Amino acid sequence: MTGTNIAAASVQIAGLVLAPVLPGIVQQAKAKLQGRPGPSPVQPYRELRRLWRKGVVNVDGSTFIYRLAPATITACAVIGVMLVPVAGHSLGWPLGADAIVLVGVLALARFAAAAASWDSGSGFALMGASRDLTFSSFIEPLLLLVFAIAALRAGSTDLRAISDAASGTAVWGSAAHWCAAAAFLLVVLAETGRLPIDNPDTHLELTMVHEGPLLEYAGRDLAFLHWSAAARHWIMLVLATELFVPHPHSFAFRLAVLAAALPLLCIGLAFVETWQAKLAVLRVPRLLAGGALLALIGFASASIGWPP
Amino acid sequence: MSVVSAALISGAALLGSGAAMPIVSRRISAALALQALGVAGLGGAGVTLVVTRKPVGSGFAGALTPALGADGLSGFFLATLAIVAVPSLVFAIGYLAANPAGRAIASLTGWFVLVLVGLVCARDVVSFLAFWELMTVLPAATILVARQSRRVRRSVFVYLAVTHVGGVGAWISLLLLAHIGAFTDQHAFAGTSTAMQTAIAVGAIVGFGTKAGLMPFHSWLPRAHPIAPSHISALMSGVMIKLALYGLIRVEFTWTGARLAWVPYALLVLGGLSSVGGILYALVQHDLKRLLAFSSIENVGIIVLALGAAGLLMNHGLRDLAAIAFAAALFHTLNHAVFKSLLFLGAGAVERQLRSLDLDHIGGLLKRMPLTGGAFLVGAIAIAGLPPLNGWASEWLTLQSLLQLRSGSAGAAIAGVVAAAALAATAALAAFCFVKVTGLVLLGRARTDAAAAVREPARLMSAPAMFLAAACVLLGAGAGVVVPALTRLAPMPAAIGTGASLHIVGTGILPALPIVVVLVVLVLVLAVLRRTSPAVMAPTWISGQPQDDRLAWSSAGFTKPLRLVLEPLLRPERAVMTVSKGALVRSIEYRSVTPHLFDTLIFGPLERVSLRGAHVARRLQSGSLRVYVAYLLVLVLGLLAAARLGFIG
Repeated sequence: MTGTNIAAASVQIAGLVLAPVLPGIVQQAKAKLQGRPGPSPVQPYRELRRLWRKGVVNVDGSTFIYRLAPATITACAVIGVMLVPVAGHSLGWPLGADAIVLVGVLALARFAAAAASWDSGSGFALMGASRDLTFSSFIEPLLLLVFAIAALRAGSTDLRAISDAASGTAVWGSAAHWCAAAAFLLVVLAETGRLPIDNPDTHLELTMVHEGPLLEYAGRDLAFLHWSAAARHWIMLVLATELFVPHPHSFAFRLAVLAAALPLLCIGLAFVETWQAKLAVLRVPRLLAGGALLALIGFASASIGWPP
Repeated sequence: MSVVSAALISGAALLGSGAAMPIVSRRISAALALQALGVAGLGGAGVTLVVTRKPVGSGFAGALTPALGADGLSGFFLATLAIVAVPSLVFAIGYLAANPAGRAIASLTGWFVLVLVGLVCARDVVSFLAFWELMTVLPAATILVARQSRRVRRSVFVYLAVTHVGGVGAWISLLLLAHIGAFTDQHAFAGTSTAMQTAIAVGAIVGFGTKAGLMPFHSWLPRAHPIAPSHISALMSGVMIKLALYGLIRVEFTWTGARLAWVPYALLVLGGLSSVGGILYALVQHDLKRLLAFSSIENVGIIVLALGAAGLLMNHGLRDLAAIAFAAALFHTLNHAVFKSLLFLGAGAVERQLRSLDLDHIGGLLKRMPLTGGAFLVGAIAIAGLPPLNGWASEWLTLQSLLQLRSGSAGAAIAGVVAAAALAATAALAAFCFVKVTGLVLLGRARTDAAAAVREPARLMSAPAMFLAAACVLLGAGAGVVVPALTRLAPMPAAIGTGASLHIVGTGILPALPIVVVLVVLVLVLAVLRRTSPAVMAPTWISGQPQDDRLAWSSAGFTKPLRLVLEPLLRPERAVMTVSKGALVRSIEYRSVTPHLFDTLIFGPLERVSLRGAHVARRLQSGSLRVYVAYLLVLVLGLLAAARLGFIG
């Protein structure tokens, strides 16, 4: 194991701790854009501390599925954070860094949330879960197409190779990369549960998607789930940086780019949230399907070698 | 005689005597146990064949005399058969105990399994086709013995009609292959005309595709599987439709060497259609066994996608990658056999106590039958293609194979990525579908009094499901060992390294064993952290109202957003009836069905036309001997005239 890998691995592990600051920055930036003082960026940590001290609630008649779901979702998020390389490097652990393994782990978390919703029998939770799963049947192909475009260039679905292949300036000459970037933006918005696809600030049952399955949980369970939502921000934004933020080849520079890009991307999310209204639930799949089509066109252009 | 052939012969003999035993004796449990023992022996021989790859018995023979033998690929399908049939037969001991037709069903089950064995070991065209037809007829007989109603007879008729009409393709294909001598000569196929090659390939795809339930030839499958006794459903879904794919593999890979350029593309199109179409229709089903039948169509689609990728990679000269895609197809075949039979056996255990498998009338079984229910949960996660179980491992491998097409031509790359996107959508929809099944069957409250009274079945019925659940976990964790063994069975074998993870060039790795370990450890640690905080019990929050079971979510409600999004595609029909008296609304009735468009748009008209044709043809059958003699006379005169004029002979 080289020094670079150790440095990258320590950033990955730091990501487990740093993740909650990302939604914190989004909230802060959103408040500023809307002319409110808003909470401090470390507010999510305070919330986690408060929740950690509280007791949990077991829904009457529920089974171990309900009880283990937050732990499973969190475990998936931990694995996800460790799968995503930092500056093209990662801990050389036996889990590797495969893009499709990441897709699978995110899907397992979604399954656990939906199964727990059935276990509690809560209508709000099930409504959120059924919408989340509907969206996911469009998000997963979209995400796969983005990775396929990246793999076409990198010759591998290893996220480290994909990240390396996105370094430098040459990659921006390909139309496919631009298509993939636009499509990936939709994935980021959907997976982080942000407007215009989902509204993380609402508990209004008619509009909830990701918040729905959280409704029955309290205490440490809720802390786990909030942390996992923050970890999804880390996973998606680090991936966005690795793939679609222009960066040089050298490791140290790329770390610096990452450190600068993450807060900027959070502010970008806050900007989109302030600027966009929530999309009607049934329009979301259309948007995502449009993104998939764009990615497909990008892939086709790259495989026929256009532009040369 | 080698140990393997001794095991094969004695296994088949045990199986045959187990099948014959119910005819003379009342003790069906002994008969079924004998059958299971025989199949286990055959499975052991199959595994040995996969590992050693030394063929036993006859090789493929062009002559018309019966010939039997087995090679690595046959061994693989024997092992798949055994891993499904042994638990199914053990399950049948309990399942058939109180059945008045138990003896007949037990005997027919044994013959059915024996025919499946025969098909895999057939080495000449006549015995292959004989076993092929018996494989279709025996389950039909079993269904008719087990259930007697007009509706069932009608479904069996459709099953036989569709599989026979489609099965003609298999006859044409195999007889033409025998005619050109492709069974013994690898180069025979390349030397024939394009028309002959096309006829063989089309015949194989239609013939074997129909029997495999490939869309759009699948119409029989969702009718036949739900009405069969559950252990027969497990065998049909787990093994029988896979043997149709075995036929397809033999024709496309062994005998013709995937030489036609369009065949792999056709397989990708049919596979993509079946996987997405199958799971979409599975999602909107209300009956558990019908849902499982549609999901079989989906999984056959996934296997065919992998076969298409293998053929395309082979045509591009990428032999190592082709071997991996081929292994992906075999691995998914095995995995689907395991988890689908698990789910059918679980459904059978419930059906025996509930009589109905309407998803909206079950609920909460995990608490009342923890062993079978727990196994069913494992099966649902596996079939949803989620890590770390076996379905995930083979779907990962299939996806990677499709993405590897980027190394071929631009057309192959684009076809591959479209198929991969379809597979990704399929996996997401499968997760949607099986979280619905898990929720409605296993979780929440019991939805009816009958469901509340369900109890754990006898050990003989829960143990097979648990065995299959363990197989799901082991095959998932052991993918790094199983897949390299399967790549060696490909017609263009490749050697890839064995280990805890699967290292394939052009991918990150598939962390088969590591992801099991990491997930389990992390979940346990986090669960312990949760346990150390105080817990209170509380009812579900429904806006402060009292609990009301009428508010429980239904199967249709859960899939509603998707049905609305895909309305132009699925065309659901809805009807709302409001009965009001004066200003008061007395009752509101809501009905929603999603018709199976393949039936209403394709098979319905087709059936009407063919029945009308049969009606016309029936006029030829007057029943009068003189008319038949006249037919014969006309035929002979016609033949003589044709010979005289030089058309024939």
